[in-house]
Parts: sequence; structure tokens; C-alpha cells
Amino acid sequence: MNNERIEFDAIVVGAGLAGSAAAMVMARKGLNVALIERGQKPGGKNYFGGAIYTHAIAEVLPDYMDRRPPFERPVTEAGFWFLSRDGITRMTVQGGKLNAEPADAYITLRANFDMWWAEQAQAAGAFLIPKTAVVDFIREENGQVIGVLTDRPQGEVYAPVVIICEGVNNLLAQKLDLISHDLEPAHIALAFKKVISLPMETINARFGLSDDEHGLAVSVLGDVSLGLPGMGFVYTNKTSVSVGLGMMLDKLAEYRLRPYDILDRYLDHPAIAPLVKGGQLLEYGAHLIPEGGYRAMPRLYTGGAMVAGDAAAMVNALHWEGTNMAIIAGQQAAETALEAHSRGDFSEKVMARYEDRLKDGFILQDLKQYRGFANFLETHPQFMDVYPNFLNDALGQFFSAYGKPKKELFRGMLGALTDRRTLFKAAGDIVSMARSVMGW
Amino acid sequence: MFHAVVAVKQVPDTTNIRIDPDTGNLVREGVPAIMNPYDAHALAAAVEWKRRLNGRVTVISMGPPSFTTTIREAIEMGADRGILISDRKLAGADTLATSYVLAEVIRAIHNEDPIDLLLFGKQAIDGDTAQVGPGVGVRLDMPVVTYAVGIRAIDLDDDTVVVERRTERWTEIIETPLPALLTCEKDIAEIPFAPLPDLIKSLRYEPEIWTIEGPVAFEQDMIGVRGSPTIVYQMGTPPLPEAGEVINTRETSIDAAVTFVFQKAEAAGVLGTILGGEK
Amino acid sequence: MTARRFWVFIEQEQGKVHPVAWELLGVARRLASQVAEEAQASGDEVSVEGVLLGHQVRDIAAEAIKYGADRVYLIDDPVLAQYRNCPYYMSIAAVAEKHQPEVFLIGATTLGRDLAGAVATALRTGLTADCTKLEMGEVKGAKQRLLQATRPAFGGNIMATIVCRKHRPQMSSVRPRVFPAAPYNPDAVGEIIAEETGVTEEGARSCILEFVHAQEDTVDIEYSDVIVAGGRGVGGPEGFAVIKALADAMGGVVGASRPCVDAGWIKYPHQVGQTGKTVRPKVYVAAGISGALQHKVGMQNSDFIIAINSDPNAPIFEVADVGIVGDLFEVIPAMIKEIEARKEARV
Ligand SMILES: Cc1cc2nc3c(=O)[nH]c(=O)nc-3n(C[C@H](O)[C@H](O)[C@H](O)COP(=O)(O)OP(=O)(O)OC[C@H]3O[C@@H](n4cnc5c(N)ncnc54)[C@H](O)[C@@H]3O)c2cc1C
Ligand SMILES: Cc1cc2nc3c(=O)[nH]c(=O)nc-3n(C[C@H](O)[C@H](O)[C@H](O)COP(=O)(O)OP(=O)(O)OC[C@H]3O[C@@H](n4cnc5c(N)ncnc54)[C@H](O)[C@@H]3O)c2cc1C
Ligand SMILES: Nc1ncnc2c1ncn2[C@@H]1O[C@H](COP(=O)(O)O)[C@@H](O)[C@H]1O
Repeated sequence: MNNERIEFDAIVVGAGLAGSAAAMVMARKGLNVALIERGQKPGGKNYFGGAIYTHAIAEVLPDYMDRRPPFERPVTEAGFWFLSRDGITRMTVQGGKLNAEPADAYITLRANFDMWWAEQAQAAGAFLIPKTAVVDFIREENGQVIGVLTDRPQGEVYAPVVIICEGVNNLLAQKLDLISHDLEPAHIALAFKKVISLPMETINARFGLSDDEHGLAVSVLGDVSLGLPGMGFVYTNKTSVSVGLGMMLDKLAEYRLRPYDILDRYLDHPAIAPLVKGGQLLEYGAHLIPEGGYRAMPRLYTGGAMVAGDAAAMVNALHWEGTNMAIIAGQQAAETALEAHSRGDFSEKVMARYEDRLKDGFILQDLKQYRGFANFLETHPQFMDVYPNFLNDALGQFFSAYGKPKKELFRGMLGALTDRRTLFKAAGDIVSMARSVMGW
Repeated sequence: MFHAVVAVKQVPDTTNIRIDPDTGNLVREGVPAIMNPYDAHALAAAVEWKRRLNGRVTVISMGPPSFTTTIREAIEMGADRGILISDRKLAGADTLATSYVLAEVIRAIHNEDPIDLLLFGKQAIDGDTAQVGPGVGVRLDMPVVTYAVGIRAIDLDDDTVVVERRTERWTEIIETPLPALLTCEKDIAEIPFAPLPDLIKSLRYEPEIWTIEGPVAFEQDMIGVRGSPTIVYQMGTPPLPEAGEVINTRETSIDAAVTFVFQKAEAAGVLGTILGGEK
Repeated sequence: MTARRFWVFIEQEQGKVHPVAWELLGVARRLASQVAEEAQASGDEVSVEGVLLGHQVRDIAAEAIKYGADRVYLIDDPVLAQYRNCPYYMSIAAVAEKHQPEVFLIGATTLGRDLAGAVATALRTGLTADCTKLEMGEVKGAKQRLLQATRPAFGGNIMATIVCRKHRPQMSSVRPRVFPAAPYNPDAVGEIIAEETGVTEEGARSCILEFVHAQEDTVDIEYSDVIVAGGRGVGGPEGFAVIKALADAMGGVVGASRPCVDAGWIKYPHQVGQTGKTVRPKVYVAAGISGALQHKVGMQNSDFIIAINSDPNAPIFEVADVGIVGDLFEVIPAMIKEIEARKEARV
């Protein structure tokens, strides 16, 4: 057996969205990049809702549309559904910006997308090493990272710079003391979903989509999460529907809830059940989302290493945005690695340029702006419960003529709310929601 | 120097198989393809002995181009050389045509680099036929030991191998002259976690692709559909048997349910059997 | 006039016949009868014939006749005293060349599987493994009826019917217990024809140095009248104590589904199903078994099936003659109590 050192110009850990983006950017500029992925294939076990934002893809791969990305459908209708106990209020938009071509966002399945995304990195020259997990780092005495240790025998791989894109389990970030602990349960949502297969025509008919070039992506609030902080989602794939929800881990633990039961209850909801009726369960899966936001982020770099994507808690929970941040962060880390190579300096000082780059872009700005949102749902449970029910009652009254004077009707509608929450408080809620979103 | 050849086949992971409820057809899409598990264990045994005797392992496989992933996996596990026999004209082969092609390929390898041991899986989990191994043995006029669970010794001076073979009733310890062909159970060797350098080597490895153009000349009548005496005449889903009566303990009592079962058994004439087999 | 011979390999080891041989004689008789009319019309002679190899096994040849063989080819030679692949397949291939059987059935036991592939290759003919249904049927384009051999494929999810148009013999292997044994007729007559092996000890090549008999429990669930089988629903290795208690009360043996074997709760010889044993006891109790296809193919030929499962929708109820929806840990003790009480009442 040869005992030669395995050496690359750069190592990327994790062939997810951030990782393959980073590998692609570096390989394209001629670096010899190892992209190490613990799964059998990229994306095999990765899960999301979900929709992927094209602005980020275009940034890293301008001609992506010519490379046949495995998109399911463009998002042509987006918005919120509010579920009451037995009703639904839909608030969605179509048209306008959503008609853009290529679309702003595409619904996709990660197993397919991540595979394709990693193939683009490979096409750029990155060397994908699957079925191998990075477990630790090789470091010099001064702490400078000079390689990684994998779980295989003779598993050392050397490189002057390592980009950590390990996803939500920030074990490697912890090994480098970039963060001192696991993410706190209060900062993690557990998302679980079912993918249910249905014929394309059935999906189009049930969701009011004219063909498979139209797709729906909605967040679902209200009677999904048993009144606890949490949010559901529905995405239409080509021949399947993804339905799931995310809830904060601490609440699941506190109330001893079993995700499967909650999801089944949600799928049994009278407004949801008919949408997936008769479908066949293709997969059931669960994944964590780091929703701690800005305040839960680790340090982003150290000598010879940087962290990007979910591993650095780069997720905007309200907008289900994570993929775009992961991709852009991966790209920025890669740019920094390229700069380090051209300078021949991989010290902490050069790695710090990564954070500067992020501050200039939307990621850190957005994350900072939304920093209060994680706490928002928690401190305002009425968004899970009172308002969805109010909306349904109120609109229900509005649209059933009743034969009453209109004045009375509006009084009744207001009553539907004030029975639940005083007007004053409701106004306050709206202000504080706006605040958390706008980052005031 | 010791030279082992292992025949490996790629199979759909049948633990993951789904059937289209409407058409009754197998859904191949998304069903992961794996190396036939028995072949993987056979390969692990070959690699173990190659390390012990300082030899080489060649893997061969007949199938479509997608089988290269399985050959790479074999390299990862420690094989030195991988040959994929792939050609449209070979498609549709049954076990007889498969054994013909593999035997001819093995003959060609043997002429250039003599083989001591040929290892096959006990059976391929997609068809469960267990015919190809013995078939190749017959064609090459080689001694065959099926259901091998262990290799006790390989003596390259004496040209013998001692194999443990497990049958339903006992384990046989068999001595056979080399070259010999074994078909292997999983017990033959554990599959180790491959070292990183071997994985990297496999990722860079390009399997040799042999076609009907060469290097082996196959007889046209012996390969593919033409060389296969058996044909699939019909396909269908298994018939549903008639369901019996079901009683729910939540609707009656447990004792009532048991009594009901005994009544049914009596009516079917098997009560005596239930009561301890008395006639 | 030609002879249409339906052959059955009479498997024996150390003088003990594998009962699958008698099952296959029954099948061969039925297949022969399916071509009787057609044969009569063309004046062909139809016969069911056994092929028996071993040393000092003439008694077995006589038995085979009582199970319905018209003729038995007996190759009795010291070189065949123990089963070995080479001398067996070579001897059989030689007699088959000589007598040209039309159909050749072999039991899909370890021995039979070892042999069948070699014989088929030596005769350059087709072989269909593990058949669950065999018929002589009309096939488009064929002058005579052909053997239609149906077998499970792809993990039992599909049944494929396979024919072998041109090559002879049409060979099939059949797992034990898929078919019932042929009726035994002590007065049946037939002829025993001695054949030569032609293989010498040198030609046999391999040599069995030793037989190691396993000490661990080698249950023979295939031929038990009563099987009480437990599945994942028993919850763990301890759960099989309950299963065993019922099996004891009924004078039967313990069976299991594959996950229990995989998890190490119980040993492989107890496994029922596609990758385990095929069984057809008089009574089969399935407790805590969901009834996956791969399990059902191994037990659905049982005479009387009792299913116990807490899930009313479990597919096992589809094959059961009678089912109890309930907790096996409550139902089984009640059954044992009832059995004991009834036994008591009888004495
Ligand atoms: C239910 C759900 C819905 C979502 N919906 C959306 C949405 O609609 N739109 C959106 O933009 N975002 C969405 N997100 C968020 C988004 O999926 C993530 O933010 C994004 O996937 C992060 O990408 P990443 O590359 O950082 O991590 P990942 O995609 O998780 O990739 C990490 C990779 O690293 C590998 N890995 C981990 N550890 C190791 C190791 N030690 N060694 C080697 N490899 C390792 C993993 O196998 C994996 O392939 C959703 C998330 C969830 C859970
Ligand atoms: C190629 C292939 C070959 C296979 N070969 C075989 C084979 O040979 N044999 C085999 O068995 N399987 C085989 N399988 C596996 C098979 O598909 C099933 O996975 C397996 O049979 C399921 O075993 P089970 O019924 O014990 O477990 P499960 O499917 O998990 O069922 C357990 C059942 O127990 C019930 N239960 C739980 N608790 C209780 C209680 N307290 N009281 C009563 N009921 C309870 C549950 O309702 C459930 O129905 C094979 C699969 C493949 C793909
Ligand atoms: N196409 C093939 N290529 C290589 N080896 C094969 C092929 N088909 C079968 N084998 C080998 O033969 C064994 C028995 O296969 P089977 O007779 O199909 O059950 C397998 O375990 C493999 O070792």
C-alpha cells in the first residue's frame, strides 16, 4: 500500500448547497479541491421543503439553465395559508414578479438537486470523495488548520484551507472552538415532511395550477402546530406534493410531542387531506433547521478554516431561506480561499476577509435584520392560534350573507377577534411582527 | 503469485423495491443499485487472501455501462483490476448465456495471468437462481464448491484449497485442487471499511470495458437473447388468497376471540392438531 | 412413437431421502397427465421417472416407485456415496443424454441447487429456479405443450412465467413444501434400471475431509405439523418465550419472520419466507407478523393459518383462515390456557 500523503489545495466538508458551491468556485479557478461528503451520494439524506432561489445559483453558475437543473416546478404562486380548526384562509400571490423567466425560485427535491449541484462542481474539476465523514482536523501547534481527519483507515487529507459546510450539526465548528456547544434546542426547529406521490393532472387540478410549469409554495400557519411556535409548508413537485412543518425542538421536548403524530394530524386537516387524498407515501423524513439566526451564529473562521451555510446558522426562518445563503456563503468562503492562495497566506488574518465579504452582502445584513424573528413566534403564540381562527371566522361571516345589516356583520367580525384578543393587543402584535421582520 | 477472480453483479437493492400499484411493474427509478451482497463478501474473502499470500484480485462483471460503479466499488474494497463486459448484444442473457460469457472471459484472463481461485456469490438477490457459479465451473471443467462459508487454507505449492461448506444438515470440510470455483455465503468474510487511499484510487479508476468486438471472441449463438434457452413468457402480480374471518378483541373479549378460533379450527378439522397433535 | 419422460431427481443423503423427491413425483405425475391426451393422439408414451444416485440405495428406488415413478434409473457406486458436485452432475448428464427426458425436476435444497445449475449447463439447457407453479400448457408457436414454470422475481413482488422452447430437458427446481407429497401406493409396480456412473474417484476431484454437525438448534421447521411463528411484534428475544410456550402447548416448533432473525432474536433455521424456509404445516400461527409478501410466500400453503396482530389492517389477515386483532401477549396466554383446559377435559 502506498503511504503517500493525500494532499489538495483546498478541502470542502459536505457536498450540500454551500459545499458544492464553494468547491465549484475554487475548482474553476484551478485549485485542486477535495469535496468530502459522508453520504453515499450528495444529497441522499438531505432534506428541505422546498424551493431554491435562482439569484444565488446564478451568482455561482450563470449558465445554470443550460445545464438542465433538476427543478420540479417554478414557484408561480406563493404566500400563506391560515388554518383554523376546520377551515382555511388563503393569502397568496400570483403573477407579477412570479412570472419571471427563469423564475425567482424553483421547487425541487434535494436528492436530485444536490446530486446535480455536486456534478457541476465535479465538472469544474473538484474531486468528490463520497461515503467518507470528516471527524476532526489536523492542526499545527499554533492551531492553524492544515487538513482533516476522516472516519476511514489512513484517513488524513491535507490542504492549507478547509471550508466547513457540514450543515446543521455543527460538530466540526465545535471541534475548532468556533462555537462552544451544540445549537440550543430553543434555536433549532425540527422540520419533518412527507412526500406524497400523485399524478401530475391531479396535482394541477387540486392546486389550481394550469400545468407543470406552474407551482405553489406556501407557508401554513395556525392549526398546524398545536398552537406552539411553528410553521407548516406545502410545495407542489411535478408528480408529488411535499407537506411538512417545522417546530422548535425545545417545545417538542417540553410537550413530549411526536413529530409523526403532529404531521399526521396536519395531513388529516379537512383543508389539507383532500389535497393529498389517494396519494402514495414516497418518503418521510426529518431534518433540523438552525433558526437561532444572527444571535446563534458561530465565529465564522479561524486560521486555515471557514464555516458556511447551516453550519453557521445562516437561515432566515420566516422566508424558509437557507439555500441561497448557503450558496452565497460558500462562494464567499471560496473567494477568500482563492485570495489566500494567491497571497500564500492562510492565517486567521486573511480568513477574516470572509466575514467582511459577507457583511457587504445580503446574508449578514438580512440575518441581522431578522434577528428578532426567532423569538417572535415564541413570544407571540397568538399567530399560531388566535389570528388564523379569527381570519376564518371573520371571513366566514363576511361571505355568508346572513341577511343582517352590514354594520352588524362587521361588529360580529370584530367580535370574532376581540373575543380572542383585545384590539389594542392585536395592533401591538402587528407592530411587533413588522419590527421583527424589518429588524427594528 | 496468487491470483483470484471474483464475479460481481450489480443488483437493485430489493429491500427498497417498490411496485407501481397501477401497472404492477417494478419501479426501478430511485431504487438504489448495489453490489450483490454475496459477491461483496466473496470479494472481501479474495482480498483477505490476496493480502495474506501477496497476490492480486481481478473482478469481472457482465452488464450495462452503469455497472462501472460496482466495479469501482470493488476496487475500493481492494481489487486490483476490474473488467466490465458490456455490449448491447449481450443483453437479455439468462443464466446459461451468462455463464458462457463469464467462462470465456475467465479463460482469456487465465491464459494471460493464471487463476488460482474463482469466487462467485451464492446467488444474486435479484433472481435468486444460484446457477451461474456452478454453470461457469462446468464450462471451465473446474471443481465447484457451493455454499462456502470459510476458506481454511490455500496451498499454492500443492495447488489445493480447503473450504468449509454449509449445507442444511452439516458443515463439510472439503479439499479441492486448484484452480477451483467457490460460490460464497456471507460468512466467508467480513466486509471491511476501506482505507481512504483505496477509495481515492477507486474514484480515479477506469474499468476496462470488453465488448463483443474483443478481446474475447464470443459465438453469436451463445450470447444474449439468442443464447438463452429460457424466455419470460408472462409477468404478473401474485394472486391474492381468500381472506378468512377476523375477530377483534376490542369488540369482544379475549376469551371470546380464543373460543371463536377454536370453533373455526374444529370446523376445519385441525382442532386435534392444535391440542398437541393427537389424532 | 417417442417417449415423453418426466424426470425427478430423487435426492438422498446417507440413505435418507429428502421428502421433496416425493413431492416432485406428485408434480411430475400431474404434468404427465396434462400431456396424456396429446400424447395419445400422436401415439407417444408418457412416463414419470426417477433418477437416483448413491451407494447401496436400491431400497430407495423401490420406494420411489411406490410414490408414483414408472421407472427409476439407479446409479449405485461408491464414488457417489457422498454427494459431491462433479461426480453427481457428470453421471446425471450422461444418463440424461442417453434417455433424453422432456422435463427434469430437482428439489431446490442446498444439494439440489448445487446440482441443478451444473446439470443444466452440462446439458446446455434452460433451468428455472424456485418455481411455485408448474403446468404443461399450450404456448403459441409450439407443437407440443411446454412446461410453464412460474416463479417469484424481484423479492417476490412479481411472478414470472418462464418457458424453454427449444432446449431439452426443460429443467426446474422447486423448493420443498411448495407442493404436497405424492400419494403412497404400496402395491405400485415399476422397473429399476441400473446405470453406470463413468466417474472415477480421481475424476471426482474434491474430497470431503470431514463432516461437522452443528450443535446449535437445527430445527426442522419445514416438516413440522404445527408452527408458531413470531414477528417483530414480539418486541425482542424475550418475546419468543411466549411463542415457544404456545408451540410447546401445541406440540409444534417456533418460526420467525426475517427481521427477528436479522436482529439476532432467533436463529436463521427458524426463518420462514422467501429467503428462509417454505412451510406447509397443518396449523400455522403468525403472531406479531405483518404479513409482508416475502413472508407470505413461505407459509401461505399451510392448511390452517391463525393470525394474531394488533393492527386490524395487517396484510397477514388476508391469508389467515382466522384472525384475532389483539395484543399477542394477551391472546397467546389465553390460547395456552384454553388448550390446557381442553386437554385436561379429554383425559
Ligand atoms: C424542511 C426544511 C425546509 C426548508 N425549506 C427551504 C426552502 O424552501 N428554501 C430554502 O432556501 N431553504 C430551505 N431550508 C433550509 C435549507 O435547506 C438549508 O439552509 C440548506 O440546505 C443549507 O445548506 P448547507 O450546504 O449549509 O447544508 P446541507 O445542505 O445540510 O449540507 C451539508 C452536507 O454536509 C454533509 N456532511 C455533514 N457532516 C459531514 C462530515 N462530518 N463529513 C462529511 N460530510 C458531512 C451532509 O451529508 C450534507 O450533504 C429548509 C430546511 C428544511 C429542513
Ligand atoms: C428480498 C427480500 C427477501 C425477504 N425475505 C423474507 C423472508 O424470508 N421472511 C420474512 O419474514 N421476511 C422477509 N423479508 C422481509 C419482509 O419484507 C418484511 O420486512 C418482514 O417479513 C416483516 O417482518 P414482521 O412482520 O415481523 O415485522 P413488521 O412488518 O414490523 O410487523 C410487525 C407486526 O407486529 C404487529 N404487532 C406489534 N406489536 C404487537 C403485539 N403486541 N401484538 C400483536 N401484534 C403486534 C404489528 O401490528 C405489525 O403488523 C424479505 C424482504 C426482501 C426485500
Ligand atoms: N452478470 C453477471 N456478471 C458477473 N457475475 C455474475 C453475473 N450474474 C451472476 N453473476 C455471479 O453469479 C452468482 C450467482 O448468480 P445467479 O445465478 O444469478 O444467482 C452471483 O453471485 C455472481 O457472483
